[in-house]
Order: sequence, then structure tokens, then C-alpha cells
Amino acid sequence: MSKPFLTLYCLIIYAFLLAPIAVVVIASFNSGAFLTFPPQGFSFRWYVVFFNNEVFMRAIRTSLWIAAVTMVISGIIGTMAAMFHVQYAGRLKEAVRVAMLAPLLLPEVLTAIALLFFVYSVGIGTQTMFGMIVGHVLITLPFVFINVSASMESYDPSWSMAAQSLGAGRFTRFRRIMLPLIKPGVIGGCLFAFIISFDIFTISFMLKGVGMSTLPIQLFDYLRTNFTPEAAAVSTCSIVLTMAVVIISEKVLGLRIHRF
Amino acid sequence: MTEVSIEKLTKDYGQGPAVNAISIKIAEGEFISLLGPSGCGKTTTLKMIAGFEDATEGAIRFDGSDVVRVPVEKRDIGMVFQNYALFPHMTVEKNLAFGLEMRKVSRAQIREKIAKVLDMVQLAGYAERYPRQLSGGQQQRVALARALVIEPKILLLDEPLANLDAKLREEMRVFIRDLQRRVGITTVYVTHDQAEAMTMSDRVVVMFGGRIAQIGTPSDIYERPASLEVAEFVGQVNIIRGKVNGGIVATAFGDVPVSGNLAEGTELMLALRPEAVELLPAGSGAGVFAKVLSSYYSGSLVDYRLELENGARVNVQAFPRTRFADGERVLVHAPAERFWPLGATA
Repeated sequence: MSKPFLTLYCLIIYAFLLAPIAVVVIASFNSGAFLTFPPQGFSFRWYVVFFNNEVFMRAIRTSLWIAAVTMVISGIIGTMAAMFHVQYAGRLKEAVRVAMLAPLLLPEVLTAIALLFFVYSVGIGTQTMFGMIVGHVLITLPFVFINVSASMESYDPSWSMAAQSLGAGRFTRFRRIMLPLIKPGVIGGCLFAFIISFDIFTISFMLKGVGMSTLPIQLFDYLRTNFTPEAAAVSTCSIVLTMAVVIISEKVLGLRIHRF
Repeated sequence: MTEVSIEKLTKDYGQGPAVNAISIKIAEGEFISLLGPSGCGKTTTLKMIAGFEDATEGAIRFDGSDVVRVPVEKRDIGMVFQNYALFPHMTVEKNLAFGLEMRKVSRAQIREKIAKVLDMVQLAGYAERYPRQLSGGQQQRVALARALVIEPKILLLDEPLANLDAKLREEMRVFIRDLQRRVGITTVYVTHDQAEAMTMSDRVVVMFGGRIAQIGTPSDIYERPASLEVAEFVGQVNIIRGKVNGGIVATAFGDVPVSGNLAEGTELMLALRPEAVELLPAGSGAGVFAKVLSSYYSGSLVDYRLELENGARVNVQAFPRTRFADGERVLVHAPAERFWPLGATA
């Protein structure tokens, strides 16, 4: 394919992917009372409404909290699984990979129903966030696993052996040698976990307790009865929030994300 | 300085022993090479000394105390890996400091020791570089420095020159040997390169199939090989067969007296190194006639393939001062003392 044509092709694809997001962002500045496009006039009116809407604010806090907890748990379990997968699994390597990626292959709704039955049959129920966090960890784990595995593949086991010969115990070897060298994969995986958890709907919907709500659920709930640009304002804020997480991590942690 | 004693050391992965009851005594400050083809058990032996592999049976003693149950990180070894294994996210200085930090050495002392060791490996001024900014030879020297700076009981090297080009490899041989002498550290060196083992070691341990075929000085190994396998592994060799008759073996080069109590009529193999044979122009003295089949010139030496009058072929290595053409008739002479009996043929 010739270069100008290829460039044009890429531009069209990008436009196709990004146009809906642009529409939402533009619609959020609508000064009218209904979610329409093109918007009628420009105002921050609906942002003010949104920030003063205690229900949405609580949902955002809940979502952020769940995403943070999910990211930490997924990060730890996923990194350990990737270490096992690359360094110790041996003949089981492929089996371990398939098992770890299984949550990606199953429809989310099946995982959600299965978990719902599970938490009730063992008596945990949905009064706490336990079941919901387990669900989020399940869904986000493969992303941590894939990212960390990828950076583990370029980790030379003789680095650990050298550290050991110099007198470093197991924990020191991990902290001083392996972790710094697989850091891009770990951070990339954790970011994925955070962003995906923030966005999960089905699992949250099934496993939420009475009166509990995450941002996607609250938004869904809201749109069933309302059709104001407030929904666009909420969406825009959540886009900005996730982008901020990625950009800040990149700046602060010097992250190189290879696969995005 | 540490004396290392390996006693009946065995490693079995479940399909028969990879290392089979080997025993080696290594004196304080001695440089020992484990030499053999791949799969002979030399690397497994080194890994057991380091502690990366558990011994199935046997003992490894550092100054008399068995370290078989001591984990790698407590064994106080310095190890140089084939690919150097320098930490890529650390500068040379941080790489060198790592082992000292593990030993809780004070900051001031770490700085002092690093300066000293960098001087020793001729890399003063490279402290702030990252490994990727160094050449292969420099990385090699950093790896050596990292292993030595902790002043370990024993230095272990696993084919450290395998990834270097030929010229650098020869330089590093001398460099490592000199450094080892100066530091005076007991050293075990694994290689499959016989020239490397010979030029560097006090003693060479030749291994085949998990067993020790011979332990000896480089000249023992080369001139008095214990078996045909050893003779062939450590260089070119001509094998001359003959029968013992009255304490001598008759060969195409003349009678070779053999000592020992060999029974009359025993079939013997005699080893004759190519450079032990003298080549002379025809008609210039004593010797037997041979025809030059082909010759290979390599600068400092010429390798000749010769055919003796009885049809036997021999390889001869000579200085190129006098060159002989292919097809030329020459005189060959091999002194009786240059034949080494390899034992009775089966």
C-alpha cells in the first residue's frame, strides 16, 4: 500500500474509534436540557450538576476504591503467577497460561452468575464488597499476567543466580534485581487492572450489595430515567480520570508501555 | 585462601548419574580446570560446588567443613557466568557494590574496595557506565571484578571466554591467569577448550560421561594421557599399534621399548603427537621414508599428512622453516621416548 493511502486509512480508523468519545465530550458542554448533538450552546452547567450530585460522587468514590484494591490484589497475584509461568512451570507452561487467561475467554456474565451462586452458597453474600472484588480480580488478572509474563520473558535467570552467588537471599533478589527489571510489565499490568476494573459493569451489577453502586451502574441507572447532558459530563470525567492515571504513571514511574 | 575437597560427588537426575562419584582435592590458591565435551558433567560439578545444584551424594568441603547443605548465598563463592550476568539496571559501581552491601560493608569501605578492584581489572574510570555501554571484554572484566571484590573463598568460572572473539579470548586467558595468581584465590574453571585449560591451569581435570578420565598438570595430560579418549581430546595424536615382543614394540619408526610388566604379545596403542615427529629432506640422515600427501600452512606451523612406506598415515606438525611440497619424499624421525603407551587394545 502506498504511504499516503496508508496514512489516510489510519486516520479514518482513528476517527472511527475516537469520534464517539469526541461526541460525548462535546455533548457534555451542552447548555440545553437534553442530550443532543450538535449541542445547543456552551456551558459547564451539567458539570456543576454532576459535582453536586451526591449519588454520582459516592459511586465514583466506590469505583475508585474498588479499582485500587483490585489493582493491588491483581498486581500481586498476577506477578507471582507470571513468575511461576516463565521460570518454574516447565512442561506445565502452556497449561498455566491457558488457565490464567480463562477469565478472558468466558463471557463475563457467566463468571458473574457463577460467583453470585458461590458467594451465597458459602454464606458470604453481597453485604460486603468481597464478592465484587473477587470478580474484578478475576477479570483483571489476565491483563497483569500477560504484561508481566512478557517482561519476564526477557529476564535472564542468571541475573538472579549472580545475585544469589553474591549473597542475596530470595527476597532481596526479587526486590533489588527482578522487580526493577520487570517493572514496566508490572506497572503496565496494574494500570490495565485499574482501568478495566473502573469500567466493569456486569460483574459489579450482579455482585453489588443493596444500595451499593459503582459509576457504570449509576450511569446506567440514571440513563434509564433521564436523558440530560449530565450523563455526558459523567462520562467525560471518567475518561479524563483514566487518562490522568495513565499519564501520571508514565511521568512519575518512567513507564514505557509497549502494547497499548 | 581455601582448600577445596570434593569427595565421591554424585549427581543423578533420575536417568543415571550425570556426575559419577568424582573426587578432587584442590590446594589453596590452585587453578583447576574442568575440561570435557558438552554433557560430560563439568558444568553440573561447578554448579554443585556453587550450590545451584544439590549433590545426590558425596561431600564438598571448604577447608574441611562440608558445604553441601549450605545455600548458595551463604557459601561465600565468587562466580563468573558465561554471559557475565551483569545487572543491566545498575552501573558498574552498583554492580560491584551489590555483594559488599549484602555483606554489610560500610559505605567508605565499599568505595575503597571498588576503586581497588577496578584498578586491578584496568577499568578505573568506568564506574558510572552501564553494562550495555561496555564491550564484551570490558563486561567480562566487570564480571570478574564483581566476583573478586567480595573476597570469596573460591572463584568459579563457567566458560567465561566462550562469547569473546578469538584474539580477545587469548588476551583474557593471560589476564585471568595473572589476576588469579596475584589474588591467590582457589579457582575452578570450566571449559571445553583444551588450549584454554592447558594455558591457564595448574592442574586439569579431564571428564567424560560424568567420570574423571585424568587429573594432572597440563603437560601430564598432553604428554602422558591416561587413555585414548584423553589423548584425542587434548590435541591431535597419531595412534600407532603394535605387539609387545621382548619388552619392545616394533613400529614403522623403529623399536620402541615399553616399560612395565606387559605380557608378551599384548597389542598396544602408542600415542605420538604430531610435533614430536621430525621431518627432514630425503637423504639427509637417519629416519624412515614417507611421502607428503598434503600440507596446511597456518603461519607459525605447517601440518603435513604423510604416508609411510608401509601405507600407514601420520600427521606431522613442523615449523615452516623448511617447506616440503605435496608428493615429495621426506625422511621422518620419531625418538622412542616420544611414544606414549595408552594401554592394551581391547
